[in-house]
Amino acid sequence: MDFAVQVKNLVKVYDGKVKALDGVELDVEPGEVFALLGPNGAGKTTLIRILTTQLKPTAGEAYIFGLNVVRNGGKVRRLISYVPQEMSVWTDISGYENLLVYAKIFDVPSHERGKIIDEVLENMGLTHVKNDLVRTYSGGMIRRLEIACAMLTKPKIMFLDEPTIGLDPAARKVVWERLGVFKEEYGVTIFFTTHYMDEADLYADDIAIINQGKIVARGTSEDLKHSLGGEVISFTLEKAAIKPELFQELRKLVFVKDVLVENGSLNVFVDDAESTLSILMNFLKSEGLSVGKVSINKPTLDDVFLKHVGTRLEEKGRISDVTQMRYMIRRG
Amino acid sequence: MMEGLKNMLVMIELELRRLRHDRTEIYFRAVQPILWILIYGPVMSSVRAIPTGGVPYTDFITPGVMIQTTTFVSIFYGLMMVWERESGILKKLLVTPASRYSMVIGRSMASGVRALFQALIILPIALIIGVRFIPNPAYFSLAFTIIFFASGGFAAISILVASFMKTRERFMGIGQAIIMPLFFASNALYPVQMMPPILREFSTFNPLSYVVDAVRGLLITGDLSNLLMDLVAIAIFDAVSFILASISFKRIIE
Repeated sequence: MDFAVQVKNLVKVYDGKVKALDGVELDVEPGEVFALLGPNGAGKTTLIRILTTQLKPTAGEAYIFGLNVVRNGGKVRRLISYVPQEMSVWTDISGYENLLVYAKIFDVPSHERGKIIDEVLENMGLTHVKNDLVRTYSGGMIRRLEIACAMLTKPKIMFLDEPTIGLDPAARKVVWERLGVFKEEYGVTIFFTTHYMDEADLYADDIAIINQGKIVARGTSEDLKHSLGGEVISFTLEKAAIKPELFQELRKLVFVKDVLVENGSLNVFVDDAESTLSILMNFLKSEGLSVGKVSINKPTLDDVFLKHVGTRLEEKGRISDVTQMRYMIRRG
Repeated sequence: MMEGLKNMLVMIELELRRLRHDRTEIYFRAVQPILWILIYGPVMSSVRAIPTGGVPYTDFITPGVMIQTTTFVSIFYGLMMVWERESGILKKLLVTPASRYSMVIGRSMASGVRALFQALIILPIALIIGVRFIPNPAYFSLAFTIIFFASGGFAAISILVASFMKTRERFMGIGQAIIMPLFFASNALYPVQMMPPILREFSTFNPLSYVVDAVRGLLITGDLSNLLMDLVAIAIFDAVSFILASISFKRIIE
């Protein structure tokens, strides 16, 4: 059985200068929901654009269900569908007409067209507005229409670049519920990028984190979180007190799996907090540090991201950028 | 081939659906040509400085003015391509099984349809102010077929330009810079013989001159002596612009 996506040592250099991808290795199983996480400029969109045959890689190979994306581009395009990050529907015609144009481009037979279009509209909860101009839709409705376009051809794999960016939590939930139903029904593979950690955590079967053009972590959400240790103990310290030497000393302790610092809080990852907390407290005291507050949590995907990328995912600024851009494009 | 034809029809359908929802652009674009034939034509004809071969001056310029507006429509079609590039529409279209050349030709001919409506809207005004057309349906059909194909060629040129100019502002500037020279260095407002020698040379390479000549012959003068040459020139122009635009189209999304 072929992988849905197979990427071997993929490199993409723009204009001979900017290295967007630097030897990406990746396999995605058929029927999986796969999330690609990474900070801005990590290479997420470049990877998607190579996989969807829009760009040619500088080196390395990529396959969709065993078909090479460069040599068999035409065949690959028959298997995939794609929702770009930017708005990708015509706003001066209706939602139904948008779908009709795509149905015709994809050669959906004329006697099935109406039925299939109504079906995806129903799927995405857009039946009541299907004859309205897209210009009058809300941001969430436009995103759902874009995904409806991608569902139209019953692809084997869907590439969704930030499918829910800028949507409110309720709208995001609706999108994912509909995608879930569609996946169950047709066994489609879903390959998506997102800025929302909770989304990857909840909906992805498998996650990869990309940073500076390389895959730096890979696994299920549980695996990734577990790799940090079973629990995380956070100590609130004065910022000035957190020195690199402290890190090294802490890491020497056998039960410490990892140490991360964020906003004056020292996060120590351990397998079992109960048995190690007092030792850690004593250690910090012996270093002459006064601990303000202590809390014990389970590691989150955010922590995994922080460990591999060095920063948290900068959601806010980024999302408002994209929302603004989509809004401007909509107004034309 | 069949695939290309089908995609062309789909793109034309898209354009017709757009026009069905919103025709204001066509109405506004009609203002300028109407001013040409309503004001410029009568004023210049009272001077009687331009030899028109016996037809009233306003009649003489009507085909030229019509084709100037359709060329405007086509050249600015590239603006829509730039917009679709900024949005994700072009990226998504290029990920469909449709080939790139069928997208280019399809979109170009879709612009031809828009141009046809633009030309048709001038007809009743011209009739009201007394322009005398040759009442021959076959001539009319051929004239509008020529306008359709020529506009497609100009739209392909604009797609070619759009693949180099990636912002709307730059495109606006270059669009103006293309159209006005084409218009003034053509036989739209005066016979080529009146131009200085250098411009006359340029006019031989100006596709607009051939289009105007053919349409003027068919609609106004009935002089079809150059028709075959005009058709060949327009066919070559279309072929060259389609090929160049298809080759360059890939750039537009990179």
